[in-house]
Amino acid sequence: MELGDFLKGAAEIGKAMGVTLKHLRQRPVTVEFPREQIPIYPRFRGKHELRRYDNGLERCIGCCLCEAACPTEAIYVEAAENDTDAPLSPGERHAKIYEINLLRCIFCGDCEEACPTEAIVLGHDFAMANYARKDFVLTKEQLLNPSMPNVIIRPE
Amino acid sequence: MTENVTLTINEKEVSLPSGILLVDAARMVDVEIPVFCSHPKLDPVGCCRMCLVEVDGPRGTAMLASCTLPVSEGMVVRTNTEQVRTVQEANLGFILLNHPLDCPICDKGGECPLQDQTMRFGPGISQLIEPKRLAKKHYDISDTIVLDQERCVLCWRCIRYLEEWEDKPQLGLFERGNETIVDIQDGRPVDAKTSGNIIDLCPVGALTNRVARFAFRPWEIDRTPSICIHCSIGCNVRLDSRTHQLRRIVGRENMQVNDQWICDKGRFAHAWVNDETRLTAPLLRKNGKLTPVQWSEALAYIAAKLTSIKEQHGADAIGAIGSGKVSNESNYALQRLFRGIVGTNNIDHRDGGDVAALPAGLPALADLMKPQYGPDPQVDTIFLFGVDPSEELPVLDLHLKRAVHRGGVKLIIAHPRKIELTRYNGPYLPYEPGAEATLLNRLAQAATDAGAEPEQKEVGTPPVDALTEQSKLPPCADAAVAAATLLLEAHRPLIIYGPMAARGQDGHSVYDGLTNLALATGNRAQLAYVGLDGNAQGCRDMGVLPHRLPGHLPLDDAAARARLEKLWNCTLSNRPGRTYKQMLDVGALAALFVMGANPADEHPDWATNLDTLDLLVVFELLLTETAQKADVVLPAFGWAESDGTFTNLERRVQRAPKAISNPKSRSAPDWMILAHLAQQLGVDWSFPDTQSVTAEITQAVPVYAGLTWDALGDQGRQWDARTLESEERGEREERNTHSHALSFPALGNARRTEEERGERNTHSHSSHSDSNYPLSLVTGTVLYDGGTLFRLTEQMQAMAHGASVSLSPTDAAAIGVEAGDAVTVQSEQGALDLSVAVDAQVQPGTAWIPESLPGAPVGALLNGSGAQRVKVERK
Repeated sequence: MELGDFLKGAAEIGKAMGVTLKHLRQRPVTVEFPREQIPIYPRFRGKHELRRYDNGLERCIGCCLCEAACPTEAIYVEAAENDTDAPLSPGERHAKIYEINLLRCIFCGDCEEACPTEAIVLGHDFAMANYARKDFVLTKEQLLNPSMPNVIIRPE
Repeated sequence: MTENVTLTINEKEVSLPSGILLVDAARMVDVEIPVFCSHPKLDPVGCCRMCLVEVDGPRGTAMLASCTLPVSEGMVVRTNTEQVRTVQEANLGFILLNHPLDCPICDKGGECPLQDQTMRFGPGISQLIEPKRLAKKHYDISDTIVLDQERCVLCWRCIRYLEEWEDKPQLGLFERGNETIVDIQDGRPVDAKTSGNIIDLCPVGALTNRVARFAFRPWEIDRTPSICIHCSIGCNVRLDSRTHQLRRIVGRENMQVNDQWICDKGRFAHAWVNDETRLTAPLLRKNGKLTPVQWSEALAYIAAKLTSIKEQHGADAIGAIGSGKVSNESNYALQRLFRGIVGTNNIDHRDGGDVAALPAGLPALADLMKPQYGPDPQVDTIFLFGVDPSEELPVLDLHLKRAVHRGGVKLIIAHPRKIELTRYNGPYLPYEPGAEATLLNRLAQAATDAGAEPEQKEVGTPPVDALTEQSKLPPCADAAVAAATLLLEAHRPLIIYGPMAARGQDGHSVYDGLTNLALATGNRAQLAYVGLDGNAQGCRDMGVLPHRLPGHLPLDDAAARARLEKLWNCTLSNRPGRTYKQMLDVGALAALFVMGANPADEHPDWATNLDTLDLLVVFELLLTETAQKADVVLPAFGWAESDGTFTNLERRVQRAPKAISNPKSRSAPDWMILAHLAQQLGVDWSFPDTQSVTAEITQAVPVYAGLTWDALGDQGRQWDARTLESEERGEREERNTHSHALSFPALGNARRTEEERGERNTHSHSSHSDSNYPLSLVTGTVLYDGGTLFRLTEQMQAMAHGASVSLSPTDAAAIGVEAGDAVTVQSEQGALDLSVAVDAQVQPGTAWIPESLPGAPVGALLNGSGAQRVKVERK
């Protein structure tokens, strides 16, 4: 009886150790995150960025449609008229203020859908931790100059 | 009144008034017909073809434009058939062919009939493969309106508005066929005073607001129904706001007041509301410098100082100035504080006690609109005396134009300038300031000569003897006869006069002259005084007058005083107070409270007098010239931030609810500041909110009895002038029995003052003949002036009346100056440096300098009487 239990236990341990020994030969599935990066899916929706045309003009025309589409009211846009001599965007209108509150954003991508000029896109940057609440409000300058620029042009 | 006809719309039988258009009929029975060119306020033109419907006729079923088709008996109409839908789709396809579809950058996007109808009735796809037609985009047709010809769908609404309402065809269609564009005529900008209405009318984004350009999106603004306070019409507007800021103002329909139109000043000049220089904290003068302090400190300082001044100099050394720009509640609280707690009647406002006014204002604005909308006109002849609606009351101007060219109303105008409304060829009677009474007596005489009604004899013959000498002045003898004849022939004449004609000592003789004229023309004419400031009428109703208690009751009315004393728990003085001018002129006051007024900018002497005061307290929005001189400046709410009621020129009490708030500001409503001040002075008014002040007003002012905010609704309510008139008449009769004067005292007064006037006139004529001062100075109000409420709107700066003196072409040639020359205008009182403008409206022998021009206070030239002579010299 006692011997039987002993052997059974030893077999279980052997089995468990077998799993361990089996994985000892395999490569790890985790990565050392900040030092190592994992690949990101192309359609990943991370931190927002505002894009430009090739000639340097901003794509955003300040139409406020992203603001209207946003389910959490995370976006705030103030439009203004372009100076005809030094326009910021093609046409008459540009965004004077463009702010995204990351604490409100749920990264649903509706703003991308709404944008008629593909100006606002959700990029691949997901490391958005910060120390002060006000730092979570992205300004237009930050959005136009993302840390990981021009990641994707979505086919859809 | 009108007969009904029975017709069938979409298989449903309906009975509707005959004569209306099918498109309106459909709207009345909730059947939607899409339209672009058709508009209920404009004549039908039938050019967009969007409203085609199927109508059964004698020759079978036809597609007819419902906007030009009057309903008739037995008509069978269908708006929902396959055929109608196909035509609507095709028409929208055609309209959209050349439409640029730049909705994301278009200010109309979100409230655009073209967008809405394309979504509801449109084809969904475009058949256009060729490039779109190109035209001029976003170019300014005035300082306040942008035109985008590509977006235009050629509905003619703007063109028709300017023709039918403004009677200024300043827009037109050019080119032909596919190339047709709407444009201004010969590059001349649109300058009609109510041109902004074409923005509201435009069914697409072709005409947009230059001032509010890209500042709003229709889906993100809060809409507050309110009223405009720029003038005393009290137009109904809607305030569109976002993020604590007023973004845009649009018109709101009120068929009793402004139809649906508002003027350009009311629409565009609102930058002052959000201006960065608005006061946000109480300022107290410390070591000669205005320093921000806490409310408690500022109010305690005022209370202590006020008490010591009252002990030292007496209550009558303290005065208060109210304002026609702030609400009834604030004006009421001001006069209650000074009558009830301080104990003085030194309470007045600009154009208050100095003007011989009538208490009841216009009978009703709707009467002047009746010629357009009703078969039963209340007015058929209008005599404008010293009022220029085009500059002072632009929406009244609009009503009058329409009444003249649609309703056949006759217009008689007496004004020192040949104002714009004189183009309707009514008799025009020019006069020099100071000669108003003479002119009126000549008119009265002309009326008598032309054979006045016999009933007029009963109330006393006009003083013909005194008049014959005066009637030598020839220039408008024919016009005077024509005017008198018109007034005699009229069934319902209305005489309107304004503060400009009735100011100062001459005011009473002008008032008497007008009364005489009304008598001489058979006593049928209604006489109406119109104030100019937004709440001029309310200010008078609230008793912000040195000689009247709230509700226009005289100070010596013991019963009225007793009633107020009980309500306010105080004792009231029956000594008449000083008027606005007297308070500022003599410098006999020790303390002055100024609420919403800027006397320092009006007259350099007044500015100096303000320096000599022991205590000057100013309730202001901005640091005005007066506020800069103050000991304490209290930041007040503007009209968009506070809730309150305003009374317009036809006694309509309307509510202006709170639309915005500035979270960073510590300002407060005027009445609340006054209530806290009263508390500091030991009296608890216990007003928890604005509505409680209104409730007390209904107790204190008999004519406001029973008014509640609920009763006001969004269209306001008129108080009944008849209650006041019956009181007035009783009072007048009482006076007559005491004095045993003529049966109508005004006549006696007129004769006496006329004699005085005669002397004064000869005096002024002698100074005229020595030709030191050859020109007579004319002053008054212009719409686009240099006042704080206008000048802060930068986009409108170019429209503002510059610091200039306008001369008639003959005088300019005689003096040898041209437009733009720098000159010095000199009177016995002082001098002003101005530039010259040559204006054919200005009569020879006069010089026109409006009030409140930037940096050029015309007050510097005035001596206080109506007549002032000046000379213009090249610098």
